[in-house]
Amino acid sequence: MSDPIGGVPYYILEFGDELVYFTPYTITLFLLALTFTVLVIISRPERQMDIAFGGDAYGTKEISLTELQFRRFMAIACGLASMGAMVTGDIFNFTLFTAMVGITNVGIVAAVKSHHVQDAAFQYGLVALCATVPLFGGAAVYAASTGSLSMIELMKGTLPAVPLIAKALLVIGVVGEGMAPFYAAKAEMFRAPGAPYVIMCSLSSLLIFLRVVEVVMLG
Amino acid sequence: MTMWGQYSYGLLVVMVAAIIAFFALAREYDDFHKFLLLDLIEIPSLGVIALLGTDLAEALVLPGLTVGIAEQLALSQIYCVKQGIKERPVSRLNIEVVAIGDAPLIISIFLVVYGILLSGFTGGGVAGLGLVYFFASRGYKENLNMLEMASGISWALWIFAFFCFMFLPDYWFIALMCAAVGIVLKVTVKMSLVGTMWGENRE
Repeated sequence: MSDPIGGVPYYILEFGDELVYFTPYTITLFLLALTFTVLVIISRPERQMDIAFGGDAYGTKEISLTELQFRRFMAIACGLASMGAMVTGDIFNFTLFTAMVGITNVGIVAAVKSHHVQDAAFQYGLVALCATVPLFGGAAVYAASTGSLSMIELMKGTLPAVPLIAKALLVIGVVGEGMAPFYAAKAEMFRAPGAPYVIMCSLSSLLIFLRVVEVVMLG
Repeated sequence: MTMWGQYSYGLLVVMVAAIIAFFALAREYDDFHKFLLLDLIEIPSLGVIALLGTDLAEALVLPGLTVGIAEQLALSQIYCVKQGIKERPVSRLNIEVVAIGDAPLIISIFLVVYGILLSGFTGGGVAGLGLVYFFASRGYKENLNMLEMASGISWALWIFAFFCFMFLPDYWFIALMCAAVGIVLKVTVKMSLVGTMWGENRE
């Protein structure tokens, strides 16, 4: 292994066609995702405050319990998908986890009873669906040009070089799923109340983007 | 060399298809029509994977398809909530010939038998399609808990078979049989539940 990007892997688990490995880089990201998932599980959600300008009036928004339960479930699912994307050693699994983070990001805010938020979630969902074309396309071109989807194999440097178009498609796909730093399109979604769950949206986006940087530098 | 040529041409065709679909999407302003066009956009993404032309491609198309369907189901649900669509008067295919005649039953039986013969994922898909068609044309309304349970048990069977492959490779034949039966049941049941349980209030 000549100069792996994320450091020398500590541990490689090959179970059938599932491949998981931990390098200093990915284990840091994994622990961050794990910490935030645990925080989402144990924390109590906050209520959004409405303050009227020019007066003393203020009030909190009422959120029903079932809505919060659904959003917590989606936030936990989002955390699990992020963790999977951090440690997976398979390009296609990475794209699947990314797509799943995209869906759960929509799901976290979809239960909110606000027309603006639902509209933004729907529009963002349309973009995320479009992004599956370059995402899966990129992974397929990876497999077609190198004959392998394993990041460990790509790391060794013995395979043919990955064409730039495959890397570009992968990055465009990840960006289209609403990842940092291009998630400005999701800004309207963040109007949804309930602090720890909405933060999971942006955190997972950030983590996925940090991982895709490593992935495209491998081959 | 010829293989690479074929692959390149195939890739070109799929990319042109994707660009046409994206162009249509960019010109469309109605949310519902955009959503329908996205169905078309999904297909080129599966086409790119299928172009690999190996058994790996088959293994990759299935999760790709599943993720695409999951995203579409989620989005359609958001669309219904967003537009305030609650009542769904359409409970079955509103085609007179289909609803009264015996044709749906015959076609469904044919598809189910053919699906069981095919076995595996593909067979499950075909048999499930037969059941979906039957339920859709007859307006089936009953408690589907049994089907859900069958789905769960067959999934467990499938997973058991996988563990058998991993840890007890000597017993590969029984594992193969378990996996084949499990997956055909699982996919059949799962597909038949899609569209019949959809949108029900399950309290």
